[in-house]
Amino acid sequence: MREVPRRPRGESLAAYGFIAPNYALLGVFVLVPLVGAFVVSLQRTDGFGDGEFVGAANYARLVTDPVFWRALATTAGFTVVVTAASMALGLATAVLLNSVLPARGLFRSVLILPMAVSGVATALIGVLVFDQNNGILDKLLGAVGLPEVNWQSEPVPAFATIVLVTIWWRTGFNMLIYLAGLQGIGPDLHEAARLDGANSWQRFRNVTVPLLGPSSYFLVVLNVIYSFQVFDIVFVLTGGGPQGATNVLVTYAYDTGFVTRDQGYAAAIGMVLLLLAVVFAVVQWRASRTRDLVE
Amino acid sequence: MQLSRRAFLAATGAVAAPLLLPGCGFVGGSGGSGGGTGAEGTLTFTTWGTDAELAGFRSAIEAFQQANEGATVELNAVPYEQMFTNIDAQLQAGNPPDIFRVPYYTFGAYAGAGQLLDLSSHLSDGVQDQFTETAWAAVQNGGSPFGLPHHTDTSAILYNKTLLDAAGVTDVPTSVDDAWSWDELGLVADRLKAGLPSGTYPFAYNWQGNGVTRWLSLLFQADGAFLDTDQRTPLIDSDAGRSAVEFSSSFFRNGWVPDTDTTTSSTYAADTWFSGTVAMVWSGAFQIPDADSTADFEWGVTYAPVGVRGGGDFGGNALVATQATGQPELAASFLEFVTAREQMQGFCQAASLLPTRPDLLDGSLSFDVRPETTDVFVGQAGQVQPQDAAQVASPSMSGIIPVLKTQLDAAFLGSQDAAATVTAMAQGIADATGA
Repeated sequence: MREVPRRPRGESLAAYGFIAPNYALLGVFVLVPLVGAFVVSLQRTDGFGDGEFVGAANYARLVTDPVFWRALATTAGFTVVVTAASMALGLATAVLLNSVLPARGLFRSVLILPMAVSGVATALIGVLVFDQNNGILDKLLGAVGLPEVNWQSEPVPAFATIVLVTIWWRTGFNMLIYLAGLQGIGPDLHEAARLDGANSWQRFRNVTVPLLGPSSYFLVVLNVIYSFQVFDIVFVLTGGGPQGATNVLVTYAYDTGFVTRDQGYAAAIGMVLLLLAVVFAVVQWRASRTRDLVE
Repeated sequence: MQLSRRAFLAATGAVAAPLLLPGCGFVGGSGGSGGGTGAEGTLTFTTWGTDAELAGFRSAIEAFQQANEGATVELNAVPYEQMFTNIDAQLQAGNPPDIFRVPYYTFGAYAGAGQLLDLSSHLSDGVQDQFTETAWAAVQNGGSPFGLPHHTDTSAILYNKTLLDAAGVTDVPTSVDDAWSWDELGLVADRLKAGLPSGTYPFAYNWQGNGVTRWLSLLFQADGAFLDTDQRTPLIDSDAGRSAVEFSSSFFRNGWVPDTDTTTSSTYAADTWFSGTVAMVWSGAFQIPDADSTADFEWGVTYAPVGVRGGGDFGGNALVATQATGQPELAASFLEFVTAREQMQGFCQAASLLPTRPDLLDGSLSFDVRPETTDVFVGQAGQVQPQDAAQVASPSMSGIIPVLKTQLDAAFLGSQDAAATVTAMAQGIADATGA
């Protein structure tokens, strides 16, 4: 084991000084509300006056609430599909744009542009595309003789719309991270593999992909957490419908907290969401120690 | 890409943090001076509004300040989307405005939770007689007034004359007594469906989002009720309830409305009418200025249909003072001033809204935009019964609205029949009211 050199005392103090503002902000705006939300989750309250302390009753109610389980399943399904698809597309475009492609700077910029658009604006663009009465997509499908799809009134197509819009929104970010990872891989490794007789696919599979391990790991965690907290796109694009088919955990928590005014129960849903995200991050962290792979 | 463990954990923490936000409310910043912390005689008033509505409020405030020397009212206009998360956060923080504007269907949640000022001892004698019985019923909680009814609105039918003419429907009701019966509406819808181009529908109903209370118009037209007079016991599991669900479900079954017209849809009915996808739309009078400036076709207004009896939703907004106000007398006097005849008339005419005073429902009201539509909406408002409006003032409406939305959606687009729907609604309403 390598000996960690002891740092001078002044340097440590300076370091603490630099991180102190971050931790102060994190404490005030994250940790305090977090504890507050946990306390609310133990109450039955409409948000006015003092709530009634009910212990774990809100959590017990979650277990038998079919809407919660359905929203959890929808969120999990959304997370798996969106994470896999947007990472695969991000990797594919990054590899493409890392090669000697004409105008690749332009293509990179175009792909990253959706990142600069807010979620609500993205969803509104989605509404224009997927509106089943006047939307662009159904008109295009009709023009080429294909049957029109009920994007808004049938459960599976409606779920597909939130997935497609999210992928469009997020692929550019995934590409950006992969592109940074790809540029850290020296050409000598590929050259050595080529001399050893590896073809393009073998070089991609056995050189590029393993060396992108840290990027992939980072993206998996980030995509999963982003997907678990999806709200704006669903809220604007489908409102959780039709028939609850696109109701995810955060839209359910929002409706419960701000429409039904059952704020204790909504806070309990929020705590479960946090727990799932933390558990996932920890499990990924432990499982992926060997993937801190660098050249 | 290299990432240190610490940097990674910090990034993960920052990313995970917003997950908590849905549970912890929104802290608004309207700078209310409730609790008497403002200058002497200063009221804070938070509202949302269209340009015409805000202009109306500003001119009312100016007149009030001129009539009451030393009194000032600070208007805080916010977007509707932020209005109630903002108000809730301020109430929770103990720093609400003195006065705010609230829809009748949300009024009960605040009044029932003890957040509003009981106006009984602060109002002038005889104020009750200045309002219609229906409007007065909509601001009651536990037998006391907790607000004054500022205006109402109810749904009539806007029709695209070009599309109706093209389908051969030229005879639309011109008086409330001639309003279509449910059966006649069905016949008109069938004629439209046969005569309209493919992809165009006879009508759309404005029951999306919190507008689901507008479905109650059909329940009332069937002479039904969803709550007993105790505002707790569900009454919807009845013949009238089944009839209203059955009739409204038939809109979807018969293809009279687009499938996107369901209660949970993110597409508003009015948008499908403006785009020419539907020929008729249930709409409040507030839509008239938009229709006048936006619709690129000839349009008119007719009455909503009549079932066993006439009936309609009691839409619109009340003005309320908060329990925490330090100036209850001044607040009550402002509410009375804004709802006085002259002020209400100016506000309603400019913003295309309906008054809550009988002395403005006698033909003296005329909308600034498309004045010929005024009588239709005033006539339609006359169909709203006090017992119907009183139910919507239930303190449990915030729990009842999601029940109506979900169950109607299941009946409209799913396979849930009318009997199962009203049974589930009754159960959901009982859960919400604690009956």
